[in-house]
Order: sequence, then structure tokens, then C-alpha cells
Amino acid sequence: MLQIRRLISFLAAAAGLFAAESPTRTINFDRQIRPILSDNCFSCHGPDEKNRMANLRLDIADGGAYTKTIIVPGDAKQSRLFERVSETNKAKRMPPPYATTSLTPQQIELLKNWIDQGAKWETHWAFAAPKRVTPPDVTDKSRVRNPIDNFVLARLEKENLKLSPEANKETLLRRVSYDLTGLPPTLAELNSFLADKSPDAYEKRVDTLLNSPRYGERMAMQWLDLARYADTHGYHIDSSREMWHWRDWVISAFNRNMPFNEFTIDQIAGDLLPNATVEQRVASGFNRNHMINFEGGAIPEEYQTEYVVDRVEATSNTFMGLTMGCARCHDHKYDPISQKEFYQFFAFFNNISEKGLDGRTGNAQPYIELPSTEQKQRQDELKAAIAAHEKALPEELISKQQAAWEAKELANFPDAPREGLLAHYELDGSLGDASGHYHYARVLKGDLTYGPGAAGKAADFDGETAVTFGHVPSFEQKQPFALSWWMKVNSKVRMTVLQQISDAVSHQGLEIYLDDFELSGIQQRVPRVYIRLAQKWPQSAIEVRTADRIPWPDNMNHLALNYDGSGKAAGLHLYVAGKPVKLEILKDSLTGSTHADAPLEIGSLQPGTPFKGRLDDLRIYHRPLTPGEISHLQNQEPLRAILATQPDKRPKDQKEWIRNYYLTNAAPAADRATWAELKTLRETAKKLEAVIPTSMVMSELEKPRETFILARGDYRNHGDKVQPGVPAVLPPLPKGAPLNRLTLAKWLVDPTNPLTARVAVNRYWQMYFGTGLVKTTENFGSQGDPPSNPELLDWLATEFIRTGWDVKAMQRLIVTSAAYRQSSRVTPELLERDPENRLIARGPRFRLPAEMVRDGELYMGGLLKEQVGGPGVSPYQPKGLWEEIAFGDGFTAQAYKQDHGDALYRRSMYTFWKRTSPPPEMTTFDAPDREKCAARRTITNTPLQALVLLNDPAFVEAARALASRMMTEGGTTPDDRIHYGFRLATDRNPAKPEADVLREAFQEELQQYKRHEDQAQALLKVGESPITAKLDKPELAAWTTVASMILNLDETITKE
Amino acid sequence: MDPLQQLTAAQITRRHLFGKAASGIGVAALASLINPKLFAAVGTESTGGLPGLPHFAPKAKRVIYLHQSGAPSQIDLFDYKPALNKLHGTELPASIRNGQRITGMTSGQASFPVAKSIFKFSQHGQSGAWLSELLPHTAGIVDDIAIIKTTNTDAINHDPAITFIQTGSQQPGRPSLGSWVTYGLGSENQNLPSFVVLIAQSSAVNTDQPLFSRLWGNGFLPSKYQGVNFRAAGDPVLYLSDPPGIDKATRRRMLDGIAKLNQMNAEAYGDPEIDARISQYEMAYRMQTSVPDLMDLSKEPDTVFDLYGPDSRKPGTYAANCLLARRMAERGVRFVQIYKRGWDQHGDLPRDLALQCKSVDQPSAALVKDLKQRGLLDDTLVVWGGEFGRTVYCQGKLMETNYGRDHHPRCFSIWMAGGGIKPGISLGETDDFSYNVVADPVHVHDIQATVLNRLGIDHKRLTFKFQGRHFRLTDVAGELVKQIMV
Repeated sequence: MLQIRRLISFLAAAAGLFAAESPTRTINFDRQIRPILSDNCFSCHGPDEKNRMANLRLDIADGGAYTKTIIVPGDAKQSRLFERVSETNKAKRMPPPYATTSLTPQQIELLKNWIDQGAKWETHWAFAAPKRVTPPDVTDKSRVRNPIDNFVLARLEKENLKLSPEANKETLLRRVSYDLTGLPPTLAELNSFLADKSPDAYEKRVDTLLNSPRYGERMAMQWLDLARYADTHGYHIDSSREMWHWRDWVISAFNRNMPFNEFTIDQIAGDLLPNATVEQRVASGFNRNHMINFEGGAIPEEYQTEYVVDRVEATSNTFMGLTMGCARCHDHKYDPISQKEFYQFFAFFNNISEKGLDGRTGNAQPYIELPSTEQKQRQDELKAAIAAHEKALPEELISKQQAAWEAKELANFPDAPREGLLAHYELDGSLGDASGHYHYARVLKGDLTYGPGAAGKAADFDGETAVTFGHVPSFEQKQPFALSWWMKVNSKVRMTVLQQISDAVSHQGLEIYLDDFELSGIQQRVPRVYIRLAQKWPQSAIEVRTADRIPWPDNMNHLALNYDGSGKAAGLHLYVAGKPVKLEILKDSLTGSTHADAPLEIGSLQPGTPFKGRLDDLRIYHRPLTPGEISHLQNQEPLRAILATQPDKRPKDQKEWIRNYYLTNAAPAADRATWAELKTLRETAKKLEAVIPTSMVMSELEKPRETFILARGDYRNHGDKVQPGVPAVLPPLPKGAPLNRLTLAKWLVDPTNPLTARVAVNRYWQMYFGTGLVKTTENFGSQGDPPSNPELLDWLATEFIRTGWDVKAMQRLIVTSAAYRQSSRVTPELLERDPENRLIARGPRFRLPAEMVRDGELYMGGLLKEQVGGPGVSPYQPKGLWEEIAFGDGFTAQAYKQDHGDALYRRSMYTFWKRTSPPPEMTTFDAPDREKCAARRTITNTPLQALVLLNDPAFVEAARALASRMMTEGGTTPDDRIHYGFRLATDRNPAKPEADVLREAFQEELQQYKRHEDQAQALLKVGESPITAKLDKPELAAWTTVASMILNLDETITKE
Repeated sequence: MDPLQQLTAAQITRRHLFGKAASGIGVAALASLINPKLFAAVGTESTGGLPGLPHFAPKAKRVIYLHQSGAPSQIDLFDYKPALNKLHGTELPASIRNGQRITGMTSGQASFPVAKSIFKFSQHGQSGAWLSELLPHTAGIVDDIAIIKTTNTDAINHDPAITFIQTGSQQPGRPSLGSWVTYGLGSENQNLPSFVVLIAQSSAVNTDQPLFSRLWGNGFLPSKYQGVNFRAAGDPVLYLSDPPGIDKATRRRMLDGIAKLNQMNAEAYGDPEIDARISQYEMAYRMQTSVPDLMDLSKEPDTVFDLYGPDSRKPGTYAANCLLARRMAERGVRFVQIYKRGWDQHGDLPRDLALQCKSVDQPSAALVKDLKQRGLLDDTLVVWGGEFGRTVYCQGKLMETNYGRDHHPRCFSIWMAGGGIKPGISLGETDDFSYNVVADPVHVHDIQATVLNRLGIDHKRLTFKFQGRHFRLTDVAGELVKQIMV
């Protein structure tokens, strides 16, 4: 009961802050009335023309309200608006019973008072240009440090409140260091700041922080949320992408203090700037950070539409604080943005040379290559060397020489080994046996088709075709044999290549299969080959597999298998591409006959997993082949087939094959050497190409794509065609300017645009105070919260423009204000009156963002490895998180490969971000999932956060590292060490009772670990960083628990 | 009321007001810290939900959602179509397809031959529901479940379809069903998360399709409403175990020390967030006991394992997860979401579907039986189904005993059972091709509205204001499926 009463009084107090004021006070339409009308009335009486009721609009002054006695200025009793909202009959009351909202008595009272006061209407504040007013006079002038304070204090004085006293120097330095760099100060920095008694000590420190390279990283953190930055594509299989060049550009732009207008233009339309630099093109990747799909079966147009919608949402949200996405399916319900205007805006972003489905193997088009200086140099060198080598092998001369060689070769062509040949299936278009035994194989089910093979044609197996080779005798335990064949594989899951077994229980007979495909490579088929010869599986059988996985080329690969009839696993030998490969013995227990009472089968087998791929030139011998014979089968036999074809009738791959053969084996020695070098050079160039990073960018299509209004937002329902344009409620585009993104970008940062500067400075305010002056950072529309201090917001916005959009100057202005420098201590009265600190009667206090929680604690332990930029890194992560949800099978970012060394300790903003399984220590501390533009993070307080800080190896290791520092740098007595560690974490000295708690803890745990040194060893093994060898183990373990307690304090992870 | 409790009260209200941090659980835990008797008195009452919820008397207190990812073939399992025997191999009539879009995987096919099911169907139970021979155990519970044969969706591929059925929108960004429920109703227990996710390890031939954390994500709701993945390997909850070398006594001493220090700081700063932090550490400590206890199946008798089948002894299997779901229901976990992959039979359907059913049929039926015999089915809502259905026409080459089926959004079968669901009924009729709905269509938003309704929530009134709009799970749609409601 007490709680309920409390709740009511609290609600009233909270509402009282901005809403219910005495009737005599002038009611502010923008702040007090429009939000009520918007939330409760606009969805039926607002901008949405199709769903408007009673032909009445309440979002504009001339929407019928004043002419139809809905509102009679000065007389609420005569106004039907008041009559309907205060109606006692539920059926007649507005909003109607089916609506999701209803009015509170206070809101009805406000409406009444507003009408009685004359019902003065105003345009929505955010759509009117900011009004710069002179900073108001205040009573307590001594507290004013800059004009921000005039505005804050004036508001407070109206409420009979004061600014809190300035925070102490420790707190202040810690606060501003986290705010401007994302990290706490070092003790040296703290001490020198405390010692600096000059009046501008703080300002000097701020300047140092603003000039630190960490400043750019810290500012970028917020920007990455807005830009929905990630290292994977996000939809479905969610494989990796490369956008870190864009991320690094953002960091650098902040560090260079690029003016916000340029920052905006480069990101919206850097590619369209005259003579755009590489950096400007990279910057345009802001709008390529959206999710990208390549799900098999998805419809390209559907997703291409989604990408453009995402760009509209991210752009309007980030720069304009508008939720334009709401107008995708119908006119906006609350703001004056029609569906047509949405698609006009959409048209700016619909002209990219992109595919609806893309990203299967990395970045999606369009992207640019970004070689490093060394890579570029290497690329040029290789290019030159390749050209020189090509020149040394002139086409005309080589062709002539090759033709002469071919003629000679054909005349003296050696035969393939025939001794012991049991069967030879050329698979050149039929299943005939060319061995001289002439037994036909036959198709059991499905269709067999033929495509180009290693020698002539080859047979294609689609997984549903089955072929039986009925006349091939069984492979016997004591009978030597050899198999030779060419094969291409079309799948990446286990498949039987061929089998001759009695049944699936005994497996008596021979099986050759591929399994154990590598799952992490890019699109590579990298299996092991397994060979099994069994009497009764598994009791009496041989099984071997290739010791290594074999990277399978996209074309045909030659295999040969020898068996010496010994009955032992060691009697099996496999050759791949003419070379013997190492085999691992899995089973070697064969004791009896392997005679299979069944034919040799290939394809869709009963039982067995079907073969999917291409097969050519299968030969079966009842003797082992010599290495020379195997080489002949691999090299000469395809040659024979090619030579037999007229040179001008040979397909391209055959031409290349024979040219390679000639230059490798038969050409004059000098040419052979040149050719060998050329091949190496080309391979090197190809490998280099594969590691050169790329970055996705915006890039216009030559021929513009047409944009249509999409009925209900559905890509299939084309309505009227539209041209690029901006909402009519905002200033128009300059006359005659081309209707492209560059014009749009310039329009965004034109000083007449009422939104951009306000939205930007409001987000800065949010960064420092936890809540923006407009709380709904992402929404400045009529459904957004009105500004808590509109004059201050407008002053900051105009100041931002006046200073040439100087981002650092704006940060400096805010953090040097007295408002920012207040103590965050709160009294129960103030907490009750202003729980969210909207009036700024105290300093900000809230839990640090996820990145700073981790970075700060690594830093306290001295573990943080600072390096600006570069590809994402993979620190510790619980095993299997990716794998348990992944698609697997040959795509990137499906299996988590943890890094080692420095990469474990980089700043969290560099942690590889997989959208379908984001880093848990980040999301647990409220980092958004990066699927959509996010302007604001909620702050929660959960048990899972406690588990991370207590038990995540990264934080346990940080505690151990902090403990080492306490022991090695913190003096010799327990008290000194406690003070040192506590101060590293909180930047203040512990009070005596605090130190007592920690000292008692240390003594108790020291006893514990002295008794159980094994436990000390176990604890100290957590984490991969080395332990300071000379430290006593039980003592270090005990200090580790103390350090962990310090790192778990609310204060340690909070900006005080 | 002492000052600390006053702060706590303010904190509750503050959070209710502003949708911030919030933790009813935490508040209860804090209360327990101050006065253990208070904690005992809280019992199993709901905490942390929205004021005014439930909107009306609920029929169910909790949900167990068995999502069959990849889309089970309704034609081979639930939607008996004897007429297809004669039509096998004939072209799907244009009048049936009616120009509806199909996926990029089969849109290039020259022909769309109708494939009958090779599986036998028969009637079961008093209700006489038709079921395929692949579901012998489900056949044993047909009189306890309601089969909806006319579920339909807007999406045609996995990612958007599973996102749609789990969040109400095809595109990312919205909270999941479980998040909405826990946001609205809060927790029913003090020691466990209220929204738990279990991902069954793949048992069949393929793992298709991938899953995404957004399916149990909080979207724009505060992150405390995201589902907590309970894992079979390693820590059941991430970072649940104390690090090696820290035993229970040390941990307890550390927590007491942290609490004391935080308490001193709370007195200095007066910020109720610090009190909340204290209580969250206590909740974490309790979870360290309650979660392993929950996951420990060793005390379950053999009869239970027999009921769920041999897989139930293997951690991480679908069967083990179904058994865990029952244990969670007993402990008052509000929403249990299980995912079972491997239903995407584009080819080799006869073989792969049979394998898949083998690992799913018995545990699913066992869960319903087990809940029923423990009296839990009355207030537990069980949902079983995929994200769409499969086409009557064959993908790839149609053979006498082999075929594949593509994605089909226009009708598919799901079943629901338990709290507030009419047992023993089949709802809806599809045409002879199981292609179009003929009677009683049930849209995905209708299912969502109905699930919320059974929990005492009006789906139109459970909203969250984000980007200026009052968002809800069912967007602007959703009709209750009254025919299956008690």
C-alpha cells in the first residue's frame, strides 16, 4: 500500500516537471499540448490522408479544428474537442474504446486550460529554424562558466533549485577522461592534475584529452551504433564482410576534428564529390553498413528494396532525428511526411550498382580495393614482372614451336599402362568399357549427363543418378589392385565416391568416400579421402584416411589408389594429382575375405551417401601401378585426348592445359624456366589479391534506377513513379541543383536545415548526461519528447553552426560547463522530483557503456593493447556460441577462432561483430545488436552482468593483472596495495571502512590459498597473459580475489 | 518505511515509468538481503511485470514454444491429401498456383510436378485426427492438442519467415515473442531467468537452417528482456561457474565484501542504481545454484527417460531439451523457447524427414504427457510448429520414392496444447493440393494474438513506444483464433 501511494505521488511529481502547471501559467503548445494530441489523436486525425477520420486534422492549425468549433479559442466549454475527451459515456469519449491510448485527467485539464487561454497554435518546434536567444540572466552568477550554465541555471532558478557543488577533482578527472577517451586516467595523470593548482588546470586537461587518439575512438563508438556497423552481413548465413576501413575513417575524422558538415557530406555522398578521394569514397560506406542477404531462394528485388529502406531509416534517424521509415507503407501517422515523400527520399538511395542478393564470399558490390602501401608496391612489382615474363614468351613464337612439338608428340605417343587392366570406363558419352573386355555399365536410376572432362567428356552425377558396374570383379583381401580416376566434387558434405559392399551392416567390400570437409574456409571444398576395405565392419576391416585435408580444385583432380594384397592398412597407397599423400590408419584389423556380393556402384547408392560431382576415365587394374604409370595416367592421358582434337576446335580450358603442359615439360629449357617463374608470379599475384582489403562504398548507376511508390511498402506493388525530393515541411532543395545524394547531403548541413545541428548536439548532450535535452534522440517528430530546455538546445545548435560545425569545440564547451562539472550526489528529494536529472541540478551518474566497462578494466590491469584501427579481433568467447546457430559448410564467420597475444586485449570496439551472435559481454551490458540504426542505448542492471564481471576469463584475468600491479607497483604493505588498486579502479582513496573490508578479505583469502596452493595455481592460470614469475602464488591469488572485488564495484563501472 | 526501501520503491516506479533498467527480481532479492522473511513471503508471485497486467484472467501462466526450424512438411505429416495419389506426377494446375510467387530455388523449374506423400496416414484418438505414420507418438496425444492446418505467413524464405513468426515482423529490429511476454508479465520465479532459450543440437543429416540471436532478442525493449540461452556444453548460462580456484566459500566472502562496499557507496551517492546492483549480485549468486540444479537430470527416474526416449539422456538433444522444458515449467520459468533445426527438406525428403521425425516426435509428445500427468498442462501453453510449410510440387527430380519440397507460405500445420486450448480438435481446411486455404485461415499474427490472449494479455494493449510509435507484437493485425480457445 505504501508503495502504491508512493507510486502515485511519484507519478504526479514526475509529470509535474514538464506538464501540470497551474492554470494561470501560460501553457506552451509545443511542449505541453502537441504531445497529447500527437500521441492520442494524430493516428486518426493526422497526416495520414487515407486513414483520416471525420475529415479532421489536428496536426495542423488549418485542419478543420478552428472552423468546425472543434476548438473555440477562449472557450473550452464550447469546444467539441474538450466535450469529446471529457465525455463520461465511454462509447462517445475520445480516444475511442478501440484505441490503445487514453487521456489522463491532467491531460484533459491541460487541454481545457489551453483552449481557455486562447488555444494558440504553433508549428512543431523541430521543423522551425532554431532561435538563438541571448543567454538568460541568472541570480547565482558565480556559478556560470559558459553560456550553457546561464540556460541551465535559469531553468533551475525557475524551479527554486540550484546547481550542485562542483565534483571533487578526482571524480571530475575520471568522468571527463571516460567521456572524452573511453578510459580512466592513469595515476600519474591524476596526481599531476591534483597537483596543478592553476585555475585552468581542468581546461588544460580537457585539451589534452581532446588531442588524444583515443578521443576519435571514443566518439566513433557512438557513431558505430548509428551506422549499424558490423563485421558480418547479418541475414541468414551471416558470413563476414570488411568495413573496418570505413570504421577507421570515422575514428580518423574525429581525431582530425573534421567539421561535422564535411563529415556528413562525405558519408552521405563522398563518392559523388568532384575528384572524390579514396577516403571520401570509403566514407560513403556509411550507407553500406546495412544488413545484406544471400539466402538461397530469396528474391533479389525484395532485398534490394530493404537495403534502400534501411538507408532512408538510418539517414533520417542519424542526421534528422526523424522516423521516416514510418511512411514506408502509408502516410506518416504523426509527422507531416507523406508516403510519396518517403519514396522521394528513397529515390536518392535507390541508385546504387548493387545486387539484391550478394555477399556470399565477402563484400557485396560495389566495393573498392584498398591495398596498403606495401601491398600496392608489391602489386605493381608483380604486375611489371608478369608483363616482362609474358613478353619473354611471345605468343606467336611459342605457338609455332608448340605446333611442331605437338605433331611430333602425336606420332610417338606412348600407350597407357595396359597390363592387368580389368576395366576402363572413358565416360566420354557412354558407359562403354574400353579395356577390351567391353562390359557396359548401366544407369540404375536418374539421368546421366556428360560435360567437359580431363580427357574428352566426363559423367555428371547429380546425387540422384545411380550407375552400376556389374562386371567389375570384387576387390579381395589377398588380391592386389589399382584404381585410377579423375574427379570433381560439387558438394561439401560427406559423400561416397564409389562402393562395392554386400550390405550396410557388414560393409563387406570396398568403399571410398570423402568426409570431414573443412567448414571455415571461403567456399573451399577441403575434405579428407577415406578408404575402407572390410570383411565385417568394424571388427575385421582396414580403414585409412588422408592425414591432411585436401584442397579440391574447381576442376578435375586425378586420384590413384594402389593396394598390394597384403591385407594390411600399410598396403594401401593413395596418389592425388600424381603425388603420393600421407595416410592415417584408423583401423587395421582385417582377417578375412572382403569379397562383396554386390556390384560396384557410383552415384545415388543404396545404402550410402550419394556422389555429387563429375567423374572421368575410371580404370581398374588387378595390380598396383608404378609411380611412373600413375604420372602417365595423370599427365599423358589427358594430353592424348587433347592432341587428338584439332587445335582450333579445342575449348579454352584444353588450350590452356596443353600450353601449360608444353611449357612445363617439352619447351626449350630457358622457356621452361621462364614459364615456371611466370606461374609462380601469377599465383603470388592472385594470393595477394585475395588478402587486399576492400570496403563497400556507394556508387551511382550509369542509368538511374526508377523509383516507384510501393503500395503497403511491398516491393511488388509499384505505384506512381517519383523523382528524388525532400519532405515539403522542410526547406526546399536549392533550385536547379541536380537531384542526387550530393545535393541531399549539402541540404542536410545547410544552416537553414532546422534539424541536423540540433540532432547532433542533442546526441552529444546524451553522451555526457545520459539523457538528451530531447530525450528521444532518435525522434524529433511530434511523437518525440519536447526538449527539456528548448532555448539551450537552440543555442547549442546555432553555436555549432556558428563555429563551423567544430565538433571538438562543442565537446569542450559542454564538458567545461559548470553544469557538467557538478557532483552527482543526489538527495532523496531531488531524486523524487527529477529522477532522470532532466533539469541538470546534479552531475551525471550512470553505468559506463559496455565497451568502456571492458576497456577500463583491462586498462586498470595494464592489459589493454592500444592500436588504432585494423580488422576486427576475436578475444575470449565461450566455446560453441557461433557454431550452435551457424549454417557451417564452407562459409566464413561460422566457427569462432579465438585470437591470441595482443589481439585479446584490444579495445572492445575492435571486437569482431557477428550480427547473429554478437559478443556476449557487449550485449549483456546493453550494446545494441547492430542490425538497425540505434541512437540510444538503454541501461539495464541484471544478474548476467554480475556473472560477466565475476567469471568471464577476460575479467578474471584483468583482476589477476591488477593484483600483479598492486603487488609490484603498489608498495609493500597490504594497506598500500589496497590503496593503490582501489585508486587505479576508482581514482580515489578508499575510506578506512572500505580499506578494512578489503584488507580482511585479503587476509582471509591468503589463509585459504596458503592452505590450498592448487587452487591458487588454478586461479592464476585463467587468461593467456604471462604471470609475473617472481610473485608468491598464494599471495597473488589472494590479491586477485581482492582485485576482482574492486573491479566488481558499482563505482568501478560507473561514471560518477 | 526505512530510507533504503523508500529508494527501492522509487526505483520501481521510476522504472515502470521510463522503461529503464528494471528488475522486479532484483528488488525482491534486495528485500531478501534486508529481511529474509520478506523474500519467503514473495513466494512464486509474479514480479517485474507491467502495472495493469495481465489485462484479464489468464488461462496459461507460461509458454513452451517448440520451434521446428526449417519448416516441416505439412503434406507428409498433418495435412492428409489422398487425392494426390492420383495426381502424382501431374503438373500443378495454374488455377491452384494462381500466380503466387515462389522462391528463387524453384522459380526456374520448367515443370511443377505434384508429389504425393509416400507416407501412410491414419486416424487417431477419439477426435479421429489424421496423422502420418512418421508421428506415432504424436498420434498418442491427438486428443490433447489442437492442430491448425491453415496457418499462413507473409514470408517465403527462412530468415524473414522465422523472424516474422518470432517477432511479428519479417525484418529485424522487433522484440521476440518471449521478450514481449516477460516485459508484460515479469517473472514467476526468483532464481531463474524468465525467458530461456534451448537450442537442440542437430541430429539429422543437415543443420539447415541457421538461427539468429534476434529470434530471442529484445529488439527495442531493454536488454534484460532478451532470452537467456541455456547451453548443453560448458556453462549452462554464460559465465555461470566461478573461475577455477575460487570455491564457494571464497565466492560468498567476495560477494559479501562487494555488497558492503557498494552499500557504503550507496549511502554516499544516494543513487538507487547501486542498490539494484547489490540485488543483482545476489540474484546471480542464487542462479549459480538454481541453474545447475535445474539442468541436473540425474535424479529423474528411468520412467521419465523412457517417456522422452533414449536421446533424452544425451545433453543438448531435442529430447533432453523437452525434458528440461518441463523442469523449467515446474520452476516457473515464464517462457521456454526451444529450437530444433533440420526440417528443410528441399531434396531426399522421404529419407531426411523420417530421420528428423524420429528425433522429434517422441519427445514432443512426451512433454505434453508429462506436463499433463503432473497437472502442469492446465496452465502451460505448448506450441509446436515451423515458420512456413512446403510445396505440393516437387523440387528437383520427382521419382517414385524420392522427392523434395520447396518453401510454401500459404498454408502449414502447427499444433497447440494446454492452458486455454481446446484439446482434440483440428482447425481449418486446405484444398486438395495443400496449397491454398479453403476454410478458417489463421495468420501468424493470429497465432501470436492468441498466445498472448491465453496469458491474459490483450495483444492490442501490450505496447512499447519506440521511435514515436506504440509498437506491438502483432503490428496492426491479429485476430484471436477463437475456435481453438477454451
